[in-house]
Amino acid sequence: MSQIELYSVSKIYTLEDIEIRAVEEVSLKIEKGEFISIVGHSGSGKTTLLSIIGGILHPTSGTVLFEGTDIYSLNEDSLSEYRAEKIGYIFQFASLLPVLTAKENLLLPTIFSKDKRANSEKKAEEYLDMVGLKEKINAYPSQLSGGQQRRIAIARALMNDPEVILADEPTGDLDEETEAEVMDFLKRINRERGITFILVTHSSELAKDATRRIRMTQGKIIEM
Amino acid sequence: MSFSLFSVALKNLKRKSFRTGILILSIGLLVSILVFGSSFILSVNVSIKRASERLGADLLVVPVGAADFAEEVLLETKAKTFYMDKSIIERVKNIEGIEKVTYQTYLTTIFGLCCDIPAAKVVAFNQDTDFIVKPWLKKAIGRKLKKNEAIAGYEAYENFDLLDVERSVLFNIEFDIVGVLEKTGTGLDNALLISDENMDEIISRSGVTVKPNQISLIFTKVKEGYDPYEVGRRVENEIIEVDVIARSDMGKNIISTLKDINNVFLITIILASLLSTFLAWTIFSAIVNERFREVGIMKAIGAKGSHIVTMFIIEVFVLGLLGSLVGIVLGTYMSLTLSKIFTLLRDVSATLTLLERVEIGLFGLLVGTGICVVGALSSIIRIKGLEPLTALKEV
Ligand SMILES: Nc1ncnc2c1ncn2[C@@H]1O[C@H](COP(=O)(O)OP(=O)(O)OP(=O)(O)O)[C@@H](O)[C@H]1O
Ligand SMILES: [Mg+2]
Repeated sequence: MSQIELYSVSKIYTLEDIEIRAVEEVSLKIEKGEFISIVGHSGSGKTTLLSIIGGILHPTSGTVLFEGTDIYSLNEDSLSEYRAEKIGYIFQFASLLPVLTAKENLLLPTIFSKDKRANSEKKAEEYLDMVGLKEKINAYPSQLSGGQQRRIAIARALMNDPEVILADEPTGDLDEETEAEVMDFLKRINRERGITFILVTHSSELAKDATRRIRMTQGKIIEM
Repeated sequence: MSFSLFSVALKNLKRKSFRTGILILSIGLLVSILVFGSSFILSVNVSIKRASERLGADLLVVPVGAADFAEEVLLETKAKTFYMDKSIIERVKNIEGIEKVTYQTYLTTIFGLCCDIPAAKVVAFNQDTDFIVKPWLKKAIGRKLKKNEAIAGYEAYENFDLLDVERSVLFNIEFDIVGVLEKTGTGLDNALLISDENMDEIISRSGVTVKPNQISLIFTKVKEGYDPYEVGRRVENEIIEVDVIARSDMGKNIISTLKDINNVFLITIILASLLSTFLAWTIFSAIVNERFREVGIMKAIGAKGSHIVTMFIIEVFVLGLLGSLVGIVLGTYMSLTLSKIFTLLRDVSATLTLLERVEIGLFGLLVGTGICVVGALSSIIRIKGLEPLTALKEV
């Protein structure tokens, strides 16, 4: 049994009688600790696929198994638990809560998980340090640059010690130097803790570090 | 304080502090009306009930047409004078069913007369037959009043500045102030009490309107087994110069005039509640609408529906509680200060106990918070089931 298994997963959007096949008949097996990169043109379905794996988007058809459990047959609360405990999601777009400081944004997911609250304060400070934002601990998102916000979102994804990190263009708005630092950090976590790492990126540079590379075109995947 | 949904909720409220303030204020105003109204109604009702119970008489016999005056003197703080002939006492005593009688004469000191306390209510009572003042007197000085002695009611003592004086002039006569009564909750509280042995001297030395052999009011106790109403009717039938008030009817005149005020309060409170509910509904609809994205993110990183509901409920409760507290403070303050302005409130001597104030406060809290919850309910239900944000787009 692989950690994540997708069987003929499709997502079809209907917009005024036009069907958009964002993800089409994708079958995929991902082992624990793998580093997978997904590349593809804009609109090819990368984010859609990642959302389906992350438990935040019901597929139109097909099954998604996590450690053998069909996650979309779970009830609402169990699916929430899956998102809170197993997945660390780095969204493509800004996803920090504007009322919360950097540190509080990091603490937010720990509220949703029963047993991740211990030492969470210290952990938040540690992770902020690791993404190079120690001095911004009490800053609000509006006081941070896009790249800084992105790094906080990355640190947040790690707070609940997830088993899988889903990163949707995580270094999109970072300069080359910071991008390299952040990627090193993520790769280290992948290596040291055996966390599965699925990275959506436009950069073939970043993609080539992956242990497995996938290309998406019009909702379909091709392994490279 | 460690970070929790409570912190998130508070920060959300702080972010929109102006809107939060408006809602707190409007809930506050509503609750203050509620608290003030309830305090008003309750204090009037309670004090009248207490006063009539404490009077200790079954029937009051008063000059014809003076029933309203009598109630005002006995239950409120007003000073009124009305008189009838002393011979009526014997006639009342002889009526079947009457067990015992005593009488009092009400006087007001005359404003401007040298050295007198101005416009004080003075009650002259007959010490041989009295059963009204006796229990209070016994507690206060443990003996009867002598001639030229006066004892002050609980509030009269303070109001007439008797704190440090040992004697005072009433009707051109010097009286020793021998003590102060405990709070009776009746009209006695505002009176100075003297023995009716002083009446002849008062009449000869001052210009009071009362004539010798006149009294104001007769208190009676009814024999066991007799119906007070029945006996009262008999008294009225046999003595045409008098009206009779039964104890259970005492205060009815005052209370019935309050009914209209009650209703005005009630209508105001209902309208204000509706308005506040509507306001809470509008504000929470807006709050929820502008937070779709945030709630979507929270759900996407693992929040359950219950977490979202908890967060909003905390916000609602904090608003409701703060608003209610503002209202309780404001309402209590109003009822304490306005009671000095409204004659009706001032004249009703009983003040509310702490427990009664706490009860009213809790009631206000319940209504204030309840209105917030009801107003927010539909919005909370709407957002509870929101799908997690798919992060496909930046809305
Ligand atoms: N909510 C939606 N309703 C309708 N169509 C949608 C919706 N979300 C996505 N799509 C469509 O699904 C397709 C795949 O979108 P998706 O966001 O997965 O692409 P992507 O590969 O992540 O693109 P990008 O690299 O630009 O982020 C696109 O054609 C998009 O227009
Ligand atoms: Mg995308």
